[in-house]
Amino acid sequence: MGKRVAICALEQVKNEPDIWYQRFQGMLLDCLEPILEKTGVTFDMDKGIRNVITCSDDVFDARTISDSGITDVVGAHFRGEEKMAQDSINGLGYAMACILSGHDDVVLYMGHCKESQAESRYMNTNLAYDPFYMRPLGIDFLSANAFQARAYMEKAGVDDDHLAEIVVRSRKNAAKNPYARENEMVSGDQVKNSPYLADPIRELHFYPMTDWAFGMLLCSEERAKEFCDNPVWVTGYGSCMDSYFPGDRDIISNFALKNAASRAYSMAGVKNPQKEIDLFELTDQSAYQLPMWAEGVGIVDEFAGGKWIEEGGPDKSQVNLSGGMLNGNPVMLGGAARVAEAWYQLRGEAGDRQLKKPKKALAHGVTGAMGQHHGVVILEK
Amino acid sequence: MAKKKKNRNVAIVGVGQTQYSSHREDVNQPEMIHEAVRLALADAGITIDDVDAIVHGNMELFEMIHQPDLWHVLGTGGYGKDSFRITTGGTTGATLACAADNLVASEMYDVVMTVGFEKLQEGHTTGGITNMADPLWSRQLQTGALTGSTGYKMEKEFGEERANRAAMMYRIIMDKHACLNHNSHRSFGLDFDQMDELMENSPRLVGDLRLIHMCSQSDGCCVVIFASEKKAKKMAKPPVWVRDHITVHREETFNIFGFDENYPVPMTHRFAAEQLFARNGIDSPVDYFDVFEMYDPSGWWGADWMREFFLFENDEHLKLIEEKEIMIDGKMPINPSGGVTAANPIGATALVRVAEAALQVRGDAGGHQIPGDVNHALASGFGGTMWTVLMMLERELSW
Amino acid sequence: MSDQFGIKVEEIFDTMEERFRPEGAEGVDASYGYDIQGVGKWKLTVKDGQMKIEEANDLGDCVAVTITDADTFVGVNIGQVDAMKAFNSGKFKVDGDLGALGQTAKMFTKFVSGKKEMTVGDFIQDMFATLEERFQPKNVEGLDVTITYDIQGDGGGCWTATIKDGTCVLKEERIEKPTVRLEVGAADWVDVMLGKVDAMTLLSAGKAAIEGDSSLALKLGEIFSKYIAPGEMAEPEQELVRLKKVISVDHRFATGPVMGKFLQGLKNKKIIANKCPKCGRLQLPPREVCAICRVRVPGVVEVGPKGHITINDIAYYSSPDPLTGETRETPYGSINILLDGCKGNETFWHLLRRDQIFEVEESWNEKKGTRVRPVWAENRIGSIKDILYFEIDK
Repeated sequence: MGKRVAICALEQVKNEPDIWYQRFQGMLLDCLEPILEKTGVTFDMDKGIRNVITCSDDVFDARTISDSGITDVVGAHFRGEEKMAQDSINGLGYAMACILSGHDDVVLYMGHCKESQAESRYMNTNLAYDPFYMRPLGIDFLSANAFQARAYMEKAGVDDDHLAEIVVRSRKNAAKNPYARENEMVSGDQVKNSPYLADPIRELHFYPMTDWAFGMLLCSEERAKEFCDNPVWVTGYGSCMDSYFPGDRDIISNFALKNAASRAYSMAGVKNPQKEIDLFELTDQSAYQLPMWAEGVGIVDEFAGGKWIEEGGPDKSQVNLSGGMLNGNPVMLGGAARVAEAWYQLRGEAGDRQLKKPKKALAHGVTGAMGQHHGVVILEK
Repeated sequence: MAKKKKNRNVAIVGVGQTQYSSHREDVNQPEMIHEAVRLALADAGITIDDVDAIVHGNMELFEMIHQPDLWHVLGTGGYGKDSFRITTGGTTGATLACAADNLVASEMYDVVMTVGFEKLQEGHTTGGITNMADPLWSRQLQTGALTGSTGYKMEKEFGEERANRAAMMYRIIMDKHACLNHNSHRSFGLDFDQMDELMENSPRLVGDLRLIHMCSQSDGCCVVIFASEKKAKKMAKPPVWVRDHITVHREETFNIFGFDENYPVPMTHRFAAEQLFARNGIDSPVDYFDVFEMYDPSGWWGADWMREFFLFENDEHLKLIEEKEIMIDGKMPINPSGGVTAANPIGATALVRVAEAALQVRGDAGGHQIPGDVNHALASGFGGTMWTVLMMLERELSW
Repeated sequence: MSDQFGIKVEEIFDTMEERFRPEGAEGVDASYGYDIQGVGKWKLTVKDGQMKIEEANDLGDCVAVTITDADTFVGVNIGQVDAMKAFNSGKFKVDGDLGALGQTAKMFTKFVSGKKEMTVGDFIQDMFATLEERFQPKNVEGLDVTITYDIQGDGGGCWTATIKDGTCVLKEERIEKPTVRLEVGAADWVDVMLGKVDAMTLLSAGKAAIEGDSSLALKLGEIFSKYIAPGEMAEPEQELVRLKKVISVDHRFATGPVMGKFLQGLKNKKIIANKCPKCGRLQLPPREVCAICRVRVPGVVEVGPKGHITINDIAYYSSPDPLTGETRETPYGSINILLDGCKGNETFWHLLRRDQIFEVEESWNEKKGTRVRPVWAENRIGSIKDILYFEIDK
């Protein structure tokens, strides 16, 4: 198809454990103001932003219609606004559709989540399960992921040492990312001694509670030069939904991710991801997901995840230079945080973690537990 | 706003609706959704394999299911497909339709199925709507979506008698339409000679907003399938073309306004209508459209909002009601389906407007089909803090 | 013949002529086929407001042919089988245009089997005769109430049920001040009891009234088991389980510097607005930005605390506060106040002292409404409830 849309600006607040000093309205405004300033974009009905796409969640905001409290701070007063209630990567896919459809040519895309607000994020994700069977059993996104972790690790030769290595690497990478959550540097032994949350997932294997907000300005190819000199292009998107009951699914098959990735590759004309794509940003809520999702996007042979870690695969393929979701982004915003890293890298603005002239990047997001729904975006310089 | 050229044409090719009802204990959520999905596929004459992507929407806190599309995949048929979940409160259903239009027009997908649903029986609706208010202040003051201020405003402008009669007349007409629609959750069999009695006896909710005026709390699901021009022309039923759509939101602070003529407050409904009609070259919407499926949460709002959507200045909207011209065989039929007071499964409600408008264009509305041709239809969605969505449907690709 | 319901398929077709409603068939010109498996085939022809039903072997020219078995066909016609469910489960198939078939629903009044022709009065007598045995003591432990049924019109009467110590005694009598009194027409009440119409519908339409404890009236379905008309089957379907669950997750909301100033102000008996640097409008409570001008709003001003009422929304219905679970007493006055220092639409939303809600005048254009002042809570914590309510400033 060969059509693409531009990301002309990206702004974010720093990922923090508890932004107790600000409402999410303030966090979003901190992202919007610099976008307006740097791009000069307006909300003019002819030439400016007529549609804003937001990403947030009613349960995590404890609020019916979580986007109703933010209309003013995302500039949507007397403009359109539509809320993506899934991982933010799909918001980018939808924004792309809005522009390619011809209906919009400039779209503002923003998202927020404060995991710190609820007594327990596990209580929230437990609510994603049906009230009759799974919910009373106490399943939440963490404990469900533990099933998958056990099954995958067994099959792919991934052990506790590998997971420790993944966590240590994630924190080292995140330390070079000024927007990453500031976590303590840990040793492999510390990881291996951290308590189990849900066997085999240890506390340090699971992403910590985080608050964050972001904003991006997207536009059609024709208008990109009005807003910036070096846009990043979105050239491919794909997503896929797996079934619901864990018993119905082959939980180590990467069914949904393989489909999502191949759809994105086909749209972007990517034939050999390993060769053509310079960096991969994967939403790894838990350490075991880094090798598993890497298999899913086709850069590791199936069930060779353990070997891949041992051979330094994540560094060779430039996976999660940002530190990944594992270092801390809020639920639903993992995908946008991955896009942010790709944005800095492709523009050559990634500071100490800058790769040498990358041209193509993959960003991935996941909704639900055990990778029930995946979304993949291909970004290009 | 300048007219933007659509990348390619999109049509509605299939509609499925469950019976709307106050209670559906006989099915769980995915099962209820599945009923509408099957009907929509049958209507389009396709199977689930022909669908490329699903767009799902409702409001999480009404049933207290977090990211319910994950569970509902059992009913939507979304397994293995691209899938989105897009929600905007009461406008959700209309937003689903806009999203499907965008997704198909973008050429990213050829056939997109939208799924709007709510099972309000499983939660506390007014409590759920109150949860919409800011927890730091207004949540402690609010009462769901109820306000008597529209009645107050209309009474000030047109006199108590005329305003109350117009709102009740509007309501009775909606009920007469609801009686023609076998999917209605509520159809009372009201008659015009009951007007005085209802104005006196129906219990008050807020001010002159009475129980009879207000929309119901319903269970139900609506599914609408959208397809590209090429695919649509091969489907079982004639395509209904999506011409254009617009979404207009407004700020959250929700002061009751309009009491001081020196400080007029622009209305989203009017703004949306002005923008949409201007960019499509429609000078007189009341003459152009053959039917309007309006998201009318109460008799008062329905009566008042006609003025905004049709860009009237004076009392033309009241006259249309008083002369019964909004009835199914009138000059400007409004909600032949019975509208939102007949059935209100909130996440589906605005999609039902689009679905019903499409059925009218296709001539397939059955018992509540408008006599005569329906070439141009308008559907609206309402939600949030006076948010509005409008979608225009056409019989011919002629614009 | 449907064995399940004891009604002949033929009976339904034979009564079609008398059940026909020409007004429901206006403009219809079509034939409809019925293939009732194991029984026979019928063809219904409708044209110019006339109908004809006949047995026919060839249903080729019908717009829609219904294919089903005798039990399902009868069940749907007498309302014992849900048509949608039968359709979805494949028991009720339609060959042809489903939408067209839907038209036939409007053409006929409901089929009523000749077997039971009970009058409204018969039903009412039977309902009250069976009331005591339908009492469900395990559902209403500790309930001590009296319920008066004031059934009006032909076949009506007045009954009072006294529920105490897990027993229910019904007498045909009227008593002073029952816990709750229901007033409804006999025919309407029969419809409610037979499940043809729900009580809320009657209430909405002003055809029924409840006096006293209305919440008790809503529990009648739990206090008494469902009325089954003589000859009907008791609960033909499986018992459906409804899972009740209260979901509660504690939250801690940040107030931020903007809303924080407002809440801090209330603690100090001050009402704080902020002022848009561009258009000058005041926002109450303050917002991070002015939505109209799309600029950050840093400056604050103190307004009020007195003002005049613009609109008084008298609410007769109150939902539970989702934060506390408490329900406010009704009616109450939800008011918009133009505080001193504010203009136009810069109103503040709060509650009015309950005993004053019918005493206020609202403002309209140049006319000022009733003046009010805030009544502050003794212990203020930085909450909107630091103002208990507003009262008339006499």
